[in-house]
Amino acid sequence: MPHVVISGDISRRFTGGEREFDVEATTFRRLILELDRRFPGLGRQIEEGMAVAIDGEIFQDAYAAPIGEKSEVYLIPRIGGG
Amino acid sequence: MTFIGKDLKVVGTRPIRPDGVDKVTGRANFGADMTVPGMIWGKIKRSPHAHARILRIDAEKALRLPGVKAVVTAADFPNIAAEEAFAGEAIMDFRDLSRNCMARDKALYDGHAVAAVAASTPAIAEAALELIDVEYEVLPFVIDVEKAMAADAPLLHGELFTQGIEPKPTAPSNIAKRINFTKGDIEKGFREADVVIERRYTTRPVHQGYIEPHACVATVAADGQCSIWSSSQGHFMVRQYCAHLLGIDIANIRAAAAEIGGGFGGKTLIYVEPVALALAKKSGHSVKIVMTREEVFRGTGPAAGSVIEVKLGAKKDGRLTAAEVTLKYQAGAFPGSPVGPGCMCALAMYDVPNANVTGYDVVCNRPKVAAYRAPGAPNASWGVESCLDELALALGLDPLSLREKNAAKDGVKAVHGPTWQNIGYAETLAAAKAHPHWRAPLGAGQGRGIASGFWFNIGGESTASVHVNEDGTVVVATGSPDIGGSRVSMAMMVAEVLGVAVERVRPIVADTSSIGYTFLTGGSRVTFATGMAATEAASRVVDELKKRAAVIWEISPEAVEWRDGMAYPAGQNAGAFEPLPLAEIAFRSARTGGPISAEAAINAQGPGAGFGTHICDVEVDKETGAVKILRYTAIQDVGRAIHPAYVEGQLQGGVTQGVGWALNEEYIYDKDGRLENPGFLDYRIPVASDLPMIDAVLVEVPNPRHPFGVRGVGEVPIIPPTAAVANAIYRAAGVRLRDLPMSPPKVLAAIDEEKG
Amino acid sequence: MSGLSFIAPKTVEEAVRALAAGDGLTKCLAGGTDLLVQLRSGRARPEVIVDMKRIPGLIGISEREDRFIIGAATPGAMISECGPLCRAWPGITEAVDLIGSQQIQGRASLGGNLCNASPAADSVPAVIAARATCVVVGPEGRREVPVEAIVTGPGQTSLRKGELILEFHVPKPRPHQADAYLRFIPRTEMDIAVVGCAVNVTLGDKGVCRDARVVLGAVAPTAVIVTEAAEALVGHWLDEETLGRLDAAARRASKPITDKRGTIEYRIKVAGVLARRAAAIAFKRAGEC
Repeated sequence: MPHVVISGDISRRFTGGEREFDVEATTFRRLILELDRRFPGLGRQIEEGMAVAIDGEIFQDAYAAPIGEKSEVYLIPRIGGG
Repeated sequence: MTFIGKDLKVVGTRPIRPDGVDKVTGRANFGADMTVPGMIWGKIKRSPHAHARILRIDAEKALRLPGVKAVVTAADFPNIAAEEAFAGEAIMDFRDLSRNCMARDKALYDGHAVAAVAASTPAIAEAALELIDVEYEVLPFVIDVEKAMAADAPLLHGELFTQGIEPKPTAPSNIAKRINFTKGDIEKGFREADVVIERRYTTRPVHQGYIEPHACVATVAADGQCSIWSSSQGHFMVRQYCAHLLGIDIANIRAAAAEIGGGFGGKTLIYVEPVALALAKKSGHSVKIVMTREEVFRGTGPAAGSVIEVKLGAKKDGRLTAAEVTLKYQAGAFPGSPVGPGCMCALAMYDVPNANVTGYDVVCNRPKVAAYRAPGAPNASWGVESCLDELALALGLDPLSLREKNAAKDGVKAVHGPTWQNIGYAETLAAAKAHPHWRAPLGAGQGRGIASGFWFNIGGESTASVHVNEDGTVVVATGSPDIGGSRVSMAMMVAEVLGVAVERVRPIVADTSSIGYTFLTGGSRVTFATGMAATEAASRVVDELKKRAAVIWEISPEAVEWRDGMAYPAGQNAGAFEPLPLAEIAFRSARTGGPISAEAAINAQGPGAGFGTHICDVEVDKETGAVKILRYTAIQDVGRAIHPAYVEGQLQGGVTQGVGWALNEEYIYDKDGRLENPGFLDYRIPVASDLPMIDAVLVEVPNPRHPFGVRGVGEVPIIPPTAAVANAIYRAAGVRLRDLPMSPPKVLAAIDEEKG
Repeated sequence: MSGLSFIAPKTVEEAVRALAAGDGLTKCLAGGTDLLVQLRSGRARPEVIVDMKRIPGLIGISEREDRFIIGAATPGAMISECGPLCRAWPGITEAVDLIGSQQIQGRASLGGNLCNASPAADSVPAVIAARATCVVVGPEGRREVPVEAIVTGPGQTSLRKGELILEFHVPKPRPHQADAYLRFIPRTEMDIAVVGCAVNVTLGDKGVCRDARVVLGAVAPTAVIVTEAAEALVGHWLDEETLGRLDAAARRASKPITDKRGTIEYRIKVAGVLARRAAAIAFKRAGEC
């Protein structure tokens, strides 16, 4: 099962302090839905405020981004630019 | 389809950009160059107080002035509800944006817009501003980031509670959020260290310094259809944000991007556009607003002033064992400094086993901070890259070797978590080491410094459309405003795919009604993401061209090849047909099925990270503290340079801005929190004679996710210069400066103090 | 809304009449590189602007046997292109060459630079150091005064209502007399002087200084003629000891303010440094000519 880490800590207020989870998901979309099921409100937080790094590659706004069985998944603050 | 590793005919060459002639002859149409029949002029009244309650605004006298057509205040903007607002970490908060464009209840900085007037001439509008009566209750203000964090600091927002602290605080604060990244065991890491260096670095706010002030022309027709022409990095963003702020349907706004005289991130949001629209609606006329330079400084967002505390632990051989970084960034009047990315970039270049990075986003009474090239990273790297230099000196190692020893490579875990893949940092170090600059001799009073930088770069949504004209020339239309030469790169990529000369491909930037949604130009994304869309659209055109050749030859499309701008039968069995050039197929397109065009609309993922290493030589005049940049080499992994001259230009431009940040740029406030230097006379950006020719060295580690291997390039180059210059000053004059800017009085004071 | 009149007189008499008339604020326009900036920022709201550029004699450089005559509205670029003037007074020309930028120098003039009366004006110290005079014309006629008599404070001149500066008279240098002007700015161009220093020396036998004038700019409300600095030079070579006394004299004469361009402490230090460096250049030039 993919291991997911919330990096940066701001979202801990949704999770009561936890930042690491095992989540059954093969896409980013499923990951968001699963986490929102466990921690209501976290889903929107992730969608609007975060990016996801799956095995080192960063995805932003990509429901279909694939997550493998042994993937390393980090939720990090959204990245913009100048 | 990939072009990585192939021999290319167009990509990698240096054709003249199509917008070049207009720009150098003054014909190009910038934000202030648009004129619309019946147009009137808008001007904005700004708070002279750093912090004040707005008790009353009386526009009676102004409205009676002949020629005045409308006055707007916050009352003319929807009051965006609080629940939508503090939705958390989303970078754009529309309630805050609305209040930044037009103050509601409170003026939060000297320069904050409190009202606006539209009149038949600029002079009348100016006179009308003076007739608008605003009653303020002046409040105590705070600007310095640490003073704003103090428990007794004047509060800007009564309902702002620090996020990221458990348990949630009960008292409001100016600290909007606290963010933290950890890796390994920091205490253990410092225990293992042979040497520990702990230092504090500071920066002042600096402005993006675009030569062209914000400007727009807005029209609201009687049927509610709106149009906006503006100087912007993203006209889809302008449309979306104005729609949000004014409660208009997105479908009812058509936004176009003017040629832009610089943005650098400062034009990734709106200031004058919603105000012009509100005035246009109220007055029934099109309204033009052009900011003065003073307004740009007083009313638009700079990069954050900041405090960076760095503690590094290392073994004698130079291996880092621990790194602790604390970043305190000014957000300005509303939350949202880029302290998050700052935290993630601070140590990105290094393989540090144990790390703890904490960031604070702090509001204070100055303009809301806006993006500026790699937002957040230059501040963090100013501290970390300087501290690494101090560590190198303490260990007796050369700073390049220290970085080589600790360089992040594929497979190394970043401090913010993910494991690096396909990065080129070590390659930039190797290129620096091999470069003649690294070994060039130095004279007395001269010194050499190096520093590195990292930026993520982003992808995102882009639409590109490629269509073939009847004569075989081609148009590629995208929705990406061209702020750095991207338009010619689009033409080059399309020309490469089609196999034609770049002169046969005309790139344009289409407005929001003429092309599909495209995210703004920023984050070094356009050549990557919009280029990807353009390449995709061009390949679909190639597929279509092959189909048309097949119709003409009466063979199957699978039996057609496309090479060098022509259709060929694929192999002997397909038939002995003469190759069909694109122009020929275009000429007959009506009969073979109709116009030939294709569009690609994507959300590009997989932007390649950017790393750079810079070498800087300075000479210090020890009697005046003046620092002269003698030589500068900027080395960066650019993936693949579509147009090398414009990639070099991005590097040179970023370096120039970084040098200005390092040496002379800063906001100067008086004791009442008013800005003393809102102009280029005393806000000192580098002039051409301040810098030597900057050597840009393009290292190419292709990004496998892009058909040509492109990585974003525009932002990395602004990150290393501040520390590179400081490190050079140390070696030239024996003084270590830790506060930016390193202006002559500060350098001289440090030298004199060193002398004893 | 106030009106604005623009008058472009074709004779000196017409100009004097235009300046003398009217109760409201009347401004002279030469190159406009200060006035236009002030108009745009709202710092100056004149009712009348009198253009100097069509008056005969206001623009142009002529050479007489004992002096150069420079029209008060002559653009700096013309001064920089005048070979004989550059050779005679390299300090004056390099000072003019430092005003703003190349674009600014296409318009900026000695008259404007002087009458704008900024303490940091770049051409003023060098022109004073050269012992130049101004010809002033007004309702009461014509008078010739040393340049240093014109500026009385920041933004203030001794010109009476109706008066304008017609031309500058710069004496020809004696043998072994030369000048130099240096200024300190944070960048390499475009900045207002943090400190400016002009040195004019005449060398006698064996290179000993016979005569000197040292003038500092930007370190006091007006340009300062530093008599103590001149005394430090006269009768001496430019050796270490003389340089030390020169440095100290320059510092003592500096009474700057702290503003966004420099602190008191910094300006005083740099005044000493520039005095030494400008003197070195002037001495070298004087020795060679």
